[in-house]
Order: sequence, then C-alpha cells, then structure tokens
Amino acid sequence: MEKPNDERPPLFKKWSYWYLLVLVFLVVLILLFTLFTKRFA
Amino acid sequence: MSQLDWIVLVITLLAIIVYGLSKSRTPRNLDGYFLSNRSLPWGIVLLSIMSTQASAVTFISAPGQAYTEGMGFVQYYFGIPLATVVICIFFVPIFRKLKVYTAYEYLEGRFDGKTRTLTAFLFLLQRGLSTGISVFAPSIILSSLLDWNIYWTNLFMGGLLIIYTMTGGAKAVAHTQKLQLIIIFTGMFLAAYMVVKMLPENVGFTDALEVSGKLGKLNVISSGITDGKIDWSGRYNLLSGLIGGFFLVLSYFGTDQSQVGRYLTAKSDRESKMGLIMNAFVKVPMQFLILLVGAMVFTFYQFNKAPVFFNEKQVEKIQQSPLKDSFNLANTRYAELAVQKQSAVTNFTNALDTKDEKEIAIRTSELKALDKQSDSLRAKVKSWINSKEVGGDGNDTNYIFLRFVLDYLPAGLVGLLIAIIFLASWGSIAAAINSLASATMIDFHKRFSKTQQSCEDEYRLSKKYTLIWGVFCIVVAMFTYNIGNSLIEAVNILGSLFYGVILGVFLVAFFFKNIKNGNAVFWGAVLAELLVLVVFILTKLETPVLKMGFLWLNPIGALGVIFFTLLLNPLVKKTGAKAPVLNS
Repeated sequence: MEKPNDERPPLFKKWSYWYLLVLVFLVVLILLFTLFTKRFA
Repeated sequence: MSQLDWIVLVITLLAIIVYGLSKSRTPRNLDGYFLSNRSLPWGIVLLSIMSTQASAVTFISAPGQAYTEGMGFVQYYFGIPLATVVICIFFVPIFRKLKVYTAYEYLEGRFDGKTRTLTAFLFLLQRGLSTGISVFAPSIILSSLLDWNIYWTNLFMGGLLIIYTMTGGAKAVAHTQKLQLIIIFTGMFLAAYMVVKMLPENVGFTDALEVSGKLGKLNVISSGITDGKIDWSGRYNLLSGLIGGFFLVLSYFGTDQSQVGRYLTAKSDRESKMGLIMNAFVKVPMQFLILLVGAMVFTFYQFNKAPVFFNEKQVEKIQQSPLKDSFNLANTRYAELAVQKQSAVTNFTNALDTKDEKEIAIRTSELKALDKQSDSLRAKVKSWINSKEVGGDGNDTNYIFLRFVLDYLPAGLVGLLIAIIFLASWGSIAAAINSLASATMIDFHKRFSKTQQSCEDEYRLSKKYTLIWGVFCIVVAMFTYNIGNSLIEAVNILGSLFYGVILGVFLVAFFFKNIKNGNAVFWGAVLAELLVLVVFILTKLETPVLKMGFLWLNPIGALGVIFFTLLLNPLVKKTGAKAPVLNS
C-alpha cells in the first residue's frame, strides 16, 4: 500500500502546480529559443 | 589514440563494470531483479531515465547535426514536458496502483490477453532491433575512426555491460547509469570548454555565436508554417516537435518498457513523478547545450581547415574509384576555400568589434558566399560517395564531432570522450535489455508457461533472458550495415513505426472507459499498424506519393488505433475483460 504521504508533492500543495510549472517552463524555453534564433540566426 | 588515452579509456570502463557488480546485490525474485524492489529515490530515477534516453548517438550525432543542419533538432524534444504531465496524471498512478512489472500487463486486465501479447510483441520487435542499432551505431563510428575491428567493437560495446546487467538487474543498471551520466556530463563540459578555448584569442563566445548564427546554424526555432501553410515534410519544427514529438514521447515514456521499467523502480508514486518531472526540466536544455557544442565546432572549423568529408574510410573508397580525380580537384578547391574563409571570418569578427553595421553586412555576405561554395562542394563529394561508382555512405554527420575530438583535443581527454561513447551506449542498452528480459519473462514466459516456478527459478530464468537479449542485440549489430542518414534518426524512425500504435492501445484503455471489447482494440491496432507502414512506404518511394516528416507517424498510429477501435467496436464479437491485474 502507498502511504498517503507519498502522494504529497515536494514544495507545493498539489501536483497540479508542478504540472503547471513544467508547462510554463516549456513556454519560457520556446520564447527564449525564439529570441536566441532572432538574435543570432 | 595515445597511451594516456588508452589508460583513461580502460580505467573508466573497468570502474563502471566493477561499480555495477558492487551494486548487484538484489533480492532473488522478480521484484528485486526487474524493479530494484521498487525502492529507489527520485534522484536516481531521474538519472536512470535520462541515461536510458540518451544513447551514444545522442552525443555523437547531435553535434554533427548542428554542424550540418543547425540546431533545429532541439524542437524534437518539445514533446517531453507536455507528455510528462499526461504520464504523471494518467499512467504512473495506474501502473503503480496495479503493481505491474510491465506496462503491457495492464492491458490484459483492461482488454484481453491477445491485446497484451500484441503490444508486448511490438515492443520486443521495435526495442530489440533499435537496441541492436544502438550497439552498432557507435561501434561503426569508432571502428572507422580508430581503425578498430567492427566485430570486436560491437562485442565490447554490447557485451561488457551484460556482465553487470545480468548479475544485478535493474538496481545495477540504475546505479551505473548514475555514475555514467556524471562522467558523460564532465567529459562533454570539458569538450565544450576546449572548443571555445581553441578559437583565436580575439574571438569570444558571443563572436563564435555570431559566426555560426550568420551561417545558419543557430536556427533553433522554425514555426513549421510557410506562406500560411503547414510544412508537413519539415522534419524538425515547432509544430512537428510539439504534436508529433508529444505522441512519440508519450508513447516512449508511457508504454515503452525500457522507460516504464525505470520509473517503476521508484519507491513511491511521488518519487516516480518527481523523476519524470525533473527530466522534463532538464532534457530540453541539455539537448540544446549538446547541439550548441556542434555549432561551436562549426565555428571552430571556420578558423581551421575542415576535411571536405569527415569519414576517412569513405574518402579512401573514393580515392580508389574512377571518381578520384574529380574528388582530388574538389578537395583542392575546398582547401583553397578554407583559406579564403579563414580570412573572411577574421574580417567578419573584426567588423563585429567596430560595430559598423555596413561593414558587418559586407563581411557577412562575403562569408556566406564562401560558405555556400564550400557547402556545394561538400554536397558534390557526398553525391559522388553515394554514387554507384563508389558505393559508399555519403553521410558523415556522425563522424564530425569525433573527428574533431581525435584531431584537436589533448591526450587524456580523447580517451575520456571515447569512454563516454561506451558509457552512454551502455546506459541505454543496459536498460533496454533489462526491459526486454522483463517483457519476455512477464508477458510471455509467465503467461504461457504451464509449470509453476519458484521465485528462485524465475530469478535465474530472468538472468538467462537478459543474457539472451544481450546476445541478440549484438547479433543485430553485427548484421546492421549502411543505415544511412543520421543514426539517431534511424532509431527514432524505427520507434515511430511502432510507438504510435502501442500508444493508441493505451489511450483507448485510459480514455475510452466504455470500450472493453478486446477484439475491437486488437484488430484496430493491427489495422493502424498497417496504415502506419503504408504511409511510411509512400513517403519513401523513389517519387514520394506523400511528403511527411517521420514524427507524424506517431499521431497517425495512435489516432488510427482509436479510430479503428471505435469503428470496429459495434461490429466485432466481444471478448470479456478480466479484472485488472494485481500483483502482490
């Protein structure tokens, strides 16, 4: 049996915050890469 | 290679084997052998996931791709964060709750035995062959560059890791992957540092970026939409990366046992999810940096003479063919152009210092014109090597980075980078043969065997299956020849032929709760696989009927299964679903 504690994510109250952070991170990366491409390519 | 390189190489490889063996003590049962007793923390799960995904070709091919085509390849990885979220929400909780050993085990409870067998079979077929390529890919490159015998290289590349993988199972695999990744990152960081350091004194990192950028190597993002139309044939763009890459990664992390087996080794749901989430944060920037090393190597070769073709074995071939005179002329012209380019690139970087836009524009067009001429000469040489008269392999993408390493990096570092090729290979191959053995044992042997076996017998048999799959992959490697194109792509294309369909079966299982008809899913998957193969063949004809990048095969396969299953569900005879499999 999984302990109920196992389900609690580190740092945040809910896993959905982690998922949101992952998606925001992807958007930021794409924006940064776009700027990088525009600057150098 | 110098004596020092050999010492570094041998010591690094021996250290990994000894370390793997020292971590080999596991409970003598299936849980211990295949899932490390589900006891690992997320940090090791993360490194294991990363090491499984990053094979030797990741470190050899990616810099070469940046050198030849630019950095657009990074978009292929954009699907990882998206897919990770879906896997953490839907896949991880179900797999862990049911305490399955393999992903396919779940399908028997959800649909029927034959659907489980079909997906497990597609996995074994795809993973077995691609692991063979993963052994062959670095072996052929090392054997060409260092004049090693290809059969012995294959044997060392695919054979030595079997010692600790067979002895210690998933635990030894995960712990060695941790050490391997640390060594790999150290070596790649040193190589990147050396490339920049070896540029002329007045050329800084930003100048180096300006050079490769102006020559089209820093095109990280392309939208995939040209003149308002979607570019379906573009291999790497934002759309194919986000959509096609999403389906490929969802299938890879959600249904490929070589990855599922990694996060099932975690001690809890939380540790599995954190391992996957951290991978989503790290993987894209890591791949960007590896590609950037390739772009820096490209800049380095603007200041130094690059070979017209990086695979010397193929150059020897053309030298012995009727095209040798044409080649020698092209080679001489290429060398002349290299001298002109060295002067042009120096003028360009000097112009950057003046910040005079007009001067920069003049120097840029001068440099671009020379680069275009060099490119067209290289293209000519490649076509000659590909021609019937020579009968060679005109793709040298995989040789670019290692050629640079051998020609320019100092003794010791060369040995370390060659060791990295072995370690990166071992990391992914070890995880693959561990997962091939687990699918064989759990989804075939245990399912079809009529005799009841003790834990000890199952443990011993699992070790034998590990050995058998290890040998199988080496045999595939021995027979693999001339895959052409980039080897990293060959593996991905092979994956795309099967992944979409396997994913489609799981998508039906997770999201179409009303569909319990195993027959409909099974035949839906068979039809979708046929559709994927037909589409792939149509794109590969001499005059292609369809123009489409291979990443699109993944959504076609996945959506194909859903479509055919929904279509067949009311038409075919129903098979009853059993209760979900629960392992104690």
